[in-house]
Amino acid sequence: MKMKKLLALLLALCMVFALAACSNEDEKQSDGGDGDQTGTVKISIWTYPIGKFGDAEAVAELIEKFEASHEGITVEHQLLDYTNGDTQVTSAITAKTTPDIIMEGPERLVTNWGANDLMVDLSDLWTEEATADIAATSQSVVDACQLNGAYYEYPLCMTTHCMAINYEIFEQAGALQYIDEETRTWTTEDFVAAMEAIRDSGLVSTPGIVYCGGQGGDQGTRALVTNLYSGTYANAEHTAYTINSAENVQGLTLLKDMVANGSLSANASYEASQELQQFANGTCAVTFCWNASNKAQYAEDVSFTPFAMAFPSDDGQPELCGGIWGFGVFDNGDQARIDAAKEFIKFVCDDETQAKESVQMTGFFPVRASLGNVYEGTETEADAAEFLTLMPYMGDYYNVTGGWTEQRTNWWGMLQKIFVDGMDVQAAADEFVTASNANIG
Amino acid sequence: MTSKAMRNQSLGYKIFVIVILTLLAIFFIFPLYWIITGSFKDNATIIAQTPQWFPLNPTLDNYVKLFKEPALRWLINTVGMAVGAMILTCITAALAGYALAKKRFYGKAILFTIIICAMALPKQVIVIPLLQEMSQIPWIHIDFSDFTTEMATMHDTIMAVILPTVGWPFGVFLMKQFSETIPTEILEAARVDGAGELKTFFSIVFPMLKPGVGALAIFTFVNSWNDYFLQLIMLNSRDEWTISLGIARLQGEMSSDFGLIMAGATLAAIPIVAIFIAFQKYFTQGIAMGAVKG
Amino acid sequence: MAQNSAAPAPAKKKQRKSQFAGMSKALVRRETISAYLFLLPSLIFFVGFVVIPMCMCLVYSFFDMGINFSSATFAGLDNYVEMFQDPVFIKGFWNTVLIVVVAVPTVTAFSLWVSSAIYQMNSKVRSFFRCVFYLPVVTGTVAVTVVWKWMFDPYNGLLNQLFGTKGYDWLGDAKTAIWCIIMILFTTSIGQPIVLYVAALGNVDTSLIEAAQVDGATKLQVFWKIKWPQIMPTTLYILVITTINSFQCFALIQLLTRGGPSHATDTIMYYIFDMAYRLQRFGYANAMGVVLAIIIAIFSAIQFKIAKTDTE
Repeated sequence: MKMKKLLALLLALCMVFALAACSNEDEKQSDGGDGDQTGTVKISIWTYPIGKFGDAEAVAELIEKFEASHEGITVEHQLLDYTNGDTQVTSAITAKTTPDIIMEGPERLVTNWGANDLMVDLSDLWTEEATADIAATSQSVVDACQLNGAYYEYPLCMTTHCMAINYEIFEQAGALQYIDEETRTWTTEDFVAAMEAIRDSGLVSTPGIVYCGGQGGDQGTRALVTNLYSGTYANAEHTAYTINSAENVQGLTLLKDMVANGSLSANASYEASQELQQFANGTCAVTFCWNASNKAQYAEDVSFTPFAMAFPSDDGQPELCGGIWGFGVFDNGDQARIDAAKEFIKFVCDDETQAKESVQMTGFFPVRASLGNVYEGTETEADAAEFLTLMPYMGDYYNVTGGWTEQRTNWWGMLQKIFVDGMDVQAAADEFVTASNANIG
Repeated sequence: MTSKAMRNQSLGYKIFVIVILTLLAIFFIFPLYWIITGSFKDNATIIAQTPQWFPLNPTLDNYVKLFKEPALRWLINTVGMAVGAMILTCITAALAGYALAKKRFYGKAILFTIIICAMALPKQVIVIPLLQEMSQIPWIHIDFSDFTTEMATMHDTIMAVILPTVGWPFGVFLMKQFSETIPTEILEAARVDGAGELKTFFSIVFPMLKPGVGALAIFTFVNSWNDYFLQLIMLNSRDEWTISLGIARLQGEMSSDFGLIMAGATLAAIPIVAIFIAFQKYFTQGIAMGAVKG
Repeated sequence: MAQNSAAPAPAKKKQRKSQFAGMSKALVRRETISAYLFLLPSLIFFVGFVVIPMCMCLVYSFFDMGINFSSATFAGLDNYVEMFQDPVFIKGFWNTVLIVVVAVPTVTAFSLWVSSAIYQMNSKVRSFFRCVFYLPVVTGTVAVTVVWKWMFDPYNGLLNQLFGTKGYDWLGDAKTAIWCIIMILFTTSIGQPIVLYVAALGNVDTSLIEAAQVDGATKLQVFWKIKWPQIMPTTLYILVITTINSFQCFALIQLLTRGGPSHATDTIMYYIFDMAYRLQRFGYANAMGVVLAIIIAIFSAIQFKIAKTDTE
């Protein structure tokens, strides 16, 4: 008798749960139905901290403007950071809860998620007019956004990644003589001399930190190494990595010597964000991870003049690594949401008045030639001019070489082996190339 | 050896023990001290080359910065998660542990073996399928800013962290060990008296299991509070984070802004440390009983 | 009572032979049904969120699976073959072993020493120390980890300021990184064992000790001959939970070193996470998970085997 009661109770419980689940299911469907009637489409956007796109309030303002002019679409925003963002996106992809729109560069949008068939082809956004306008700035931007004929990214802005020096420390250490303030360039010899002067001045804990740990900011260390003796990171066809070339090995060896004599430090426990914070704190006199976005982010902490510089180069002709940022759309299988997402991208990137403001939000420069200098007459004009000086040094956009994700891990490993474990430079570089080329496929 | 020499030696040993223990105590208290004081230091103090043992110019700036984030929400999420996991685990484990200890049924041996083997299984191993499961099970999301609800899946809610914690069979193992100590005669007597299964459980077994349930409750609470890995994978939206995840992600975003991170760590540590100190006796008793019987 | 706990396995064995002795078929059926009803709530969770994922994990491990699960291809044993040729996996295996082999005995021995030292002190002092050693547990792993990260910092960290080792990178040097992690793991694992041992030592039969002392036994003899056997069940319990803790040590590694430098702090757990969520090779990550699960199952089996022989 009692047994039956127990059984009945449990059965009842199960049914309640099942019913709850069913009714939830119904609700879900009716929810969708309601949506169709009123025509409301809900989309979500995730942004990495790209200038003001890393500021929730600024993005909320942008969304408000969009929603006001596009009735029936509501947008939800979430912020990602470079340390954890990749994990969050990967986990969302495996859970099939990806956002509709994501803002990042081609190395993730195109070579990673695009190549894995997770993104929507945005070819219809790339009208003839748009393509021509963007190509007028740089054909490599157009090339970077596509893969096998499909466009997985619609770009908004670009910049050159550079480095920065603590102007006052350089002044006090008498190291300003080594830089060309006009062109913001310096030669490798000047760089070595400047860092030694700062080391000898004792004004900072360490002249500079080569960060060898973790996730983002690898563009800085890559550009540092390749520029020292004008090497290349990948071949012109982007079919092989070339970090073991004589020039690059020479550059890495120079850095290793500088670490040994104390004119640089190398920290395996440091990521770019930590190095930046130490630069902002005045612990070190240079940072290898600089651009307008980082300048804005650390503006509050900085009590000196961060002076943007090109990476040092033996011939004084730096080749800077470009950064391109734009939007991609995850294929969530719902055409209404995909269309809404495209509307949003069009609004942000192509709208006559909004496009300029969107670029201003990033602090970078427009990919569309027709937008001209978006900072002219604004209060940030001087700031922007600093980085504009560096734009002509834009080098090859090699971030679209195959096996990009894997090579990043290999890159950190190589730096750690050279600077921390003291492995032979040539051997470590060879190892990197062998391992990374294996993934180009 | 004369007894006097022995006494001397033991006195020397006692002093040695006290000194070592005191040093260790300082070593164990210090991180918490450094967290709390660090949260009141301004950035200049934190990056100074000489340590400041006590914040001489205390500032609340770090807390102002911290509460620009939904930090209280994180704390509430964490408490909800830990309490939810605790209650569900205690109920299910007490029922199951009792059955495993006191019932005779087919498949008992094999079931117990499976439970033992699964106990040490780290969640990292199964997290990928778990994540997929969680994104299949429907669940209500409540937006606490305007109390609107929305149907979605368990992914990105604390349920996705609670359920795998409850599934982890350590609690069942512990409760089985406890239930073994219940004299079978009492159960027999109850049966003879005509008490039903449920009545026997709730009026006889459960009261006897109470100390054990207490131990399990504390263990589960602390464990799920500290289970950073599951939270990392399961919770994506800023509003759904736990306080551990919040601190860790702040560290990712703000890197070496140690003052802010310490403010977050203080917020995470203080409630549970306060509860612990207030109920120290129960904590230690509960855990200890778990061991003596378990 | 204490004896009870350590002997689940043998007790069960004896039961199995005679489990259903003297029971009618109807009674056996009734008992079985009611037992499973009691087990049901727990089993739903256990099967749903442990057993089924484990099986899925096993299936996935035979696939070459990238971030897009729908384009997975069958790979047979490729993942397993690759694993045993993967130097990072092997390094991670040895690091895991190192952490477990160092942390488990140190935590157990040290907590036993502390407990023996404090269990006879007056109750205020005793609860003070017990409280202190439990503090890192309740402070929370992540909070403890971030404060240590600050203390280890090469430029702003307290340790370099104290030791005058300016700029030394504790977490960035392969020689010290893993020991830093083991040290923090140690501080966060010791609290519970101390509480347990203090209670267990307090329950040791004092009449036996007094009798032994009258017979002229030394302290050491009293400890090994009388106390040690009686606290054995507690010791086993501590071994089990400390082993689980050490195997699952993740936050420390993710927040402090990310497995670096040069994989010096990579454990299998962390490498699985890295492989899945950074390199997006889910098939391979699952295969490593399966191997790890097997290793752990063997480990647990050995522990319980020891538990059995020790009490028989």
